[in-house]
Amino acid sequence: MRWIHPLSPDTGETAGAIGGKAYGLVLLRRLGLPVPPGFVIGTDACRAFLRDGRLPDGLDGELAVAVAALEDTTRRRLGGSGRPLAVSVRSGGRESMPGMMTTVLNLGLTAAATAALAAETGDTRFALDARLRFLYGFATATTDLTAETLDAVVSEATGRGPDATAVDEATGHGPGGAAAGEAARHGSGDAGRLSRAIHEVEAVIGRRAGRPVPDDAAEQLRLAVAAVFSSWDTPRATTYRELHAIPHDLGTAVIVQAMVFGNRDDRSGTGVAFSRDPNTGERVPFGEVLFGRQGEDVVSGRSSTLPLRDLADREPGVWAALLDALDRVEAHHRDTCYLEFTFEAGELWLLQARPGRFTGAAAVRLATDLADEGVIGRHEALLRVSPHDLRHARARRLAVAGGAGVLARGLGACPGVVAGRVATTADGAVRMAAEGPVILVRPETSPLDMRGIAVAAGIVTARGGPASHAAIVARTMGKPAVVGVPDLTVTGASVRAGGQVLPEGTLISIDGTGGEVVLGSPSVTTAATGPHLLRLLEWADEVSGDASGRPADQRLHAAHAALRRRP
Amino acid sequence: MTASTAGDDLLVLHALRCAGFTDLARVAAVTGLGESDVESELIDLATAGHVTYTAGFFGGWGLTEAGRAADARWITEELEAAGARTAVAGAYDRFLVLNPELLDICGAWQLRPVGGTTTMNDHTDPAYDARVLGRLTDLDRRAQAVCADLSAALPRFGRYRVRLADALARATAGALDYVTDDMASYHTVWFQLHEDLLATLGIPR
Repeated sequence: MRWIHPLSPDTGETAGAIGGKAYGLVLLRRLGLPVPPGFVIGTDACRAFLRDGRLPDGLDGELAVAVAALEDTTRRRLGGSGRPLAVSVRSGGRESMPGMMTTVLNLGLTAAATAALAAETGDTRFALDARLRFLYGFATATTDLTAETLDAVVSEATGRGPDATAVDEATGHGPGGAAAGEAARHGSGDAGRLSRAIHEVEAVIGRRAGRPVPDDAAEQLRLAVAAVFSSWDTPRATTYRELHAIPHDLGTAVIVQAMVFGNRDDRSGTGVAFSRDPNTGERVPFGEVLFGRQGEDVVSGRSSTLPLRDLADREPGVWAALLDALDRVEAHHRDTCYLEFTFEAGELWLLQARPGRFTGAAAVRLATDLADEGVIGRHEALLRVSPHDLRHARARRLAVAGGAGVLARGLGACPGVVAGRVATTADGAVRMAAEGPVILVRPETSPLDMRGIAVAAGIVTARGGPASHAAIVARTMGKPAVVGVPDLTVTGASVRAGGQVLPEGTLISIDGTGGEVVLGSPSVTTAATGPHLLRLLEWADEVSGDASGRPADQRLHAAHAALRRRP
Repeated sequence: MTASTAGDDLLVLHALRCAGFTDLARVAAVTGLGESDVESELIDLATAGHVTYTAGFFGGWGLTEAGRAADARWITEELEAAGARTAVAGAYDRFLVLNPELLDICGAWQLRPVGGTTTMNDHTDPAYDARVLGRLTDLDRRAQAVCADLSAALPRFGRYRVRLADALARATAGALDYVTDDMASYHTVWFQLHEDLLATLGIPR
């Protein structure tokens, strides 16, 4: 086939031809690790699509052949009314562009296939949940509807407030969280509410697109593939490439794989994992897991995740398989790695793999540990650490050994370690700031919080990412900030985090680099005096032959220069 | 007090609703009214119990709970009287498409990837800054269309176009604070527009 390549161990295409994500999946197959069966449409098809404004000649036929092969492998039928096959349709270019392009999950769940999935699994609610997720993805991929707009439509139709819409339970959108979703899963009347939500979402897509959602699975797939290709050229993606100096003419591949349902049952879920702790570099698996949900729920940061370690108790088989995968991928890269995974009914599947890309103090520790473990030589360890890492390693950090005592963890949005008393409103922050430092803790920030942020020593928000209004404002004012702490709720004058209720006035500390929130005064550390950095710098002096007392970055720089001069 | 057209009292009250606690000069800038007009409106609003003044270093004007409730009532009446709900909701959808990109651009203005790590943008690389401002200018062109739709639906939204254009003009002329940092920066005005759309449509944050 010209345009389509199987995701198989003997696919020899480059990352440029099939994209970095597919390249990583082929590698996982070579390592004998579990990857959902599927195929990838190469980036050259995207370039042809963008040039001609239509799918290239021959792609339709190849799609039919590839789908038929996938149906044979899975012994399922795409959109079928017997054992239905659903697929994920994901983007993936040579360079990572996280969140910029389109994804459609659960594709192929036509009305008949959804009924068949309900009959096969005996779980109508699950099947409807999957169908609604498909409609969300299809709508956002093929129209200008946003998830927020669809949330509003659903909450209107089902007569539920914004804190507990049907779609919140179904898709992880909105502030509800996993507990609400799990409660709803076992409650009564959910199927009726989901059916109403599906009906309304179909109607709004029909109105917006000027035609109904196609009930033909092959047509759904063609539209989704075209939508992924088109998403390469959205203004936001163009801006991202411009800002990250990624060429505009690469195009994206499209990965089509059999769905693994993380929302299938209590023994299903999804997560992300590093082979080592990306905050410290310590050799301990690190990540998050979410039971009963699909992958986008973790990546979106809109649901309460659990520490990866919880998998060990609840699904020891999945945990063991995951540890094995982390070891094998790390050994292959001779570097820490990052995996995205889903498990369905106790069986692990890997959806993405790449090197871990640690920075700062974590990069220093990783490089020295890998050298001590004999995985890489000392010279390579030196070359893997950059002067930027040393600069970052000097940042003051909360001393949290192995994550002990961490109340909650979000994303560090503006560096610095501060302690202060919890205030839950801007007015409270202003009042309390007269008596000492305050940490303003909010669900998310609005302009009404600006005054509270101005007087606060630091900021914590439950929602938002590194590019959220809260993060931008915090950096503007130079306030240490932790954003996107999904496991944190603000109710009236108290905060709930890490299973504890903290009334306004409770002393907490935050780390705007690592994203930790802890109780009490901070114990502060910097890696600049840590044992790993000292060892690395000793190696640097051995290489450069200059042991005179100089700043760390000069010692590293001299070693890099000496190593580059060697043949 | 009539609600069908946005009187100066409503403009001043709503400025505090969207911009938060602030001073006289800023309310004037937000509304486009003169400071003395704003002041007399604020005094009337304070008499009615809708706003309150706090003295001191962080002093300024803010909404009371009653003022917040009155604002919600008035802007809903204004929206329905103008029959503008569908138009504003449509513009909000288009705003939401632009919002993540604007945040990406502001994030890139503050932080930049250097050799695999993200560092504070110290604005010593004019080529990088020009690239970011180029994308902001491109986004602004698309935002103009959304602002025009909003102004056509409710004239009071017209101030956002003026304020965004002013921030962009200053930033591209070299006043770097007008991207994210200043109280009249592009991001600050955009953030207030976001808040205004949520408030106008009655959507909780």
